[in-house]
Amino acid sequence: MTAAPAIARAGLRGAELAGALRDLLGPEKVLWAREDLLLYEYDGAVDTATPDAVVLPNETADVAKLARFCAEHAVPLVPRGAGTGLSGGAIPVEGGVVISFARMSRILELDVPNLRAVVQPGLVNLHLSTAAAPHGLYFVPDPSSQKACTLGGNVAENSGGPHTLAYGVTTNHVTGLELVLSDGTVVRLGGKALEYDGYDLVGTFVGSEGTLGIVTEITVKLTPLPEDKRTLMAAFPTMDDASNTVSAIIGAGIVPSAIEMMDQLSTQAVEASVGAGYPLDAGGILLVEVDGVRDGLDDLLERIETICRASHAQELRVATTALERDKLWAGRKGAFAAMGRLASDYYVQDGVIPRTKLPQVLRHIIAVGERYGLRIANVFHAGDGNLHPLIMFDGSKGPAELERVREAGREILEMCIAVGGSITGEHGVGMEKNCYMPLQYSPIDMAVMRRVKEAFDPLGLMNPGKVFPTPGRCKEFSINAAR
Amino acid sequence: MPHVERPATAEACAEALRACADLRHTVRVRGGGTKDGLGTRRETDVVLETAGLDGIVDHVPEDLTVTVRAGMSFAALRDALAAHGQFLPLDPPHVARGATVGGIIAANSNGFGRYRYGGVRDLVLGVRAALPDGAVARAGGRVVKNVAGYDLNKLFIGSLGTLGVVVEATFKILPVPPTARAASATFATPGDAFAVAGALLRTSLRPTALVVERTADGRWRLVIAAAGEAAPVERAMAELRRAAAARGTAVEAIDEPEAALDPLREIVDLADGGVVVRAVLPLSAQAAFAEAATGVDRGARVVADAASGIAHVQLRDEAGIVVAADGLLAGARILGGSARIERAAVAGLDPFGGPEPSGAFLMRRLKAAFDPTGILEPARSALG
Repeated sequence: MTAAPAIARAGLRGAELAGALRDLLGPEKVLWAREDLLLYEYDGAVDTATPDAVVLPNETADVAKLARFCAEHAVPLVPRGAGTGLSGGAIPVEGGVVISFARMSRILELDVPNLRAVVQPGLVNLHLSTAAAPHGLYFVPDPSSQKACTLGGNVAENSGGPHTLAYGVTTNHVTGLELVLSDGTVVRLGGKALEYDGYDLVGTFVGSEGTLGIVTEITVKLTPLPEDKRTLMAAFPTMDDASNTVSAIIGAGIVPSAIEMMDQLSTQAVEASVGAGYPLDAGGILLVEVDGVRDGLDDLLERIETICRASHAQELRVATTALERDKLWAGRKGAFAAMGRLASDYYVQDGVIPRTKLPQVLRHIIAVGERYGLRIANVFHAGDGNLHPLIMFDGSKGPAELERVREAGREILEMCIAVGGSITGEHGVGMEKNCYMPLQYSPIDMAVMRRVKEAFDPLGLMNPGKVFPTPGRCKEFSINAAR
Repeated sequence: MPHVERPATAEACAEALRACADLRHTVRVRGGGTKDGLGTRRETDVVLETAGLDGIVDHVPEDLTVTVRAGMSFAALRDALAAHGQFLPLDPPHVARGATVGGIIAANSNGFGRYRYGGVRDLVLGVRAALPDGAVARAGGRVVKNVAGYDLNKLFIGSLGTLGVVVEATFKILPVPPTARAASATFATPGDAFAVAGALLRTSLRPTALVVERTADGRWRLVIAAAGEAAPVERAMAELRRAAAARGTAVEAIDEPEAALDPLREIVDLADGGVVVRAVLPLSAQAAFAEAATGVDRGARVVADAASGIAHVQLRDEAGIVVAADGLLAGARILGGSARIERAAVAGLDPFGGPEPSGAFLMRRLKAAFDPTGILEPARSALG
């Protein structure tokens, strides 16, 4: 859609860079042809930029060699998993080398007695759970893109997913990392034990969006599969009713493994595309799942059903077979893709709010949509207060239309901050929201983050143009930065 | 005698730190004083007490979050939340002796509930910290999910006050579960006790405690506690009975779970005349580590959080105790974990003994960036 202007940095670029990389690593590990590079200029968000070259390492030593070379020649490095990210994290906005982990995608060890797996960053999220399933184990974080997204990307973005309500997001499940720093140093942090002496650098690194270093190996926790599950679809006349139900369930001391909400626009799109069996006349629906040992699950489900009825539920449907459960979830997981039926393009936001503010903020989102004349669908992790408004638009109308969409998105995020929330719950800041960071953090808070950046990446070559506001692109926010 | 500072606000705390930095005065940070034994004891020019930073800032029961000042005692916070039928699901040691919220964060002090509920690093949503340059910085936020910017909470948790002083924190909290029960079974060998613990861990029972303790008569007692709805809690007890019966052992019910677990938590403090080693291990290495502990001291006490792989060993045999403790520190590393001396009543022990943690060069860069004059908590951490 819109290609960000390349920022001129001194350093090796273009054909000269690609040639040097071929000499350094061998031609089979480097892509440089125009038609090959085109595949790497976008991710799941709306910004694009073309890399000077793409490197496909086979092992950590390749990455270290590449980093040393790039340090010497002032070349930015941008790690990339499957390119499913939703904040432009894998976009080489300042040019340089994109590192694709497509060839480092193996499970190195399934350590069942220790409930750990050691994996390469290019491993697809779902493949880990599939491999662990015969041992009765799984990897908890389950982003909707889990059939494609990679563990390296999950670590970079601190990814969540529907089932992180009870069991935590990526950072709660990573105990060890191997990193390559921007000067080519290889460092191992943590391991299979829960903690090690010194600072928690593993925890500091997870969610740093590729700006501190490149992950080359990951040690994660595996969790016993629940003995059983119950999945309930509850339909409500209004989104307010659905929102109040969420607070009532949590307030009753029940922590479901997931509570997802969809508005009418979303369910209609999903029904047209997947046919999950959601009622078309409902103002809002909830998917609620509880899991654990079999004992007491039915009682718990009954309590949830009672709460739903008290909040005016018009229809309750419990999945009685795995097939029915999968069908209900297929609708949720396929919701973003289904939006293609409503509009040629969509822009998804990721704000977080305190759960109790759901009715207020959802009304605000409707008002923003009306004011901008944009259709906005809501499909989100209600239990966490993690909103995903999908703003629909037609990209062929040009950059002015996209700018209008971004403005609407910004108004929604400003509301999230105003009620004490965050600009992003799981998609990351990237180059999509870096200009909005001053909405959430003071200049002091940002300066402290800079200290961490400089300690890890004093050369400033790791995924530049992300997370921190960039003077060129973020002019309009300089006033807010004084906040 | 060190000079005592007791700031009443976050800003005053930061100002006191800046003044110390200007004068190159070293600072020890003190809440309830229950972690004074951690690291190497060295007198500082200033002791900064957090007692003036007390009280709840904000508690929204419906959102299940609470924001508190760092000097508040954990016990006071627990009581305030209990009035709303809620709790902060941490069960660290030293609570009865006045452990504060700030000290628990700085020392990353956890209890047996870590497997079920997460530890400090999983429950802290945001912190405010006073820094040696006089600034008060905020990290994280007050909502349960937030990936905006770096997760600096993780950097402060467990940093023992070496980077800054945590002055306020926001936590996730939970409603108090309706039912809590516990039971124990005693085995002849650590291998048996840890094997049963491991089997229970490979289920979706999610116990609130799974502790292996060496008894006074040298046997190995497994304690399981569960909390929540009655039916899954009863199931957890039933699973222990089944596993114990399979090994020819009977199960004893525990009437008051908290009263039974408290003394096990407080092993951390039982170093009068001995040494307490704390090891964090891969789960499957715990039995071997327990064997090693009794190998170096036949009278060693052992309490292991078997669900999280965190073992405390109290060595009591004065003869050769320094060599024995060093041996255990090395043993933990060989088994793929790490270890430190938690408490020592004898001289001549390096609390962190052995090689530096991996990534120490990065930790030093961070220390230099946050505390360039090196005034904060000298000799307190693994970085010296």
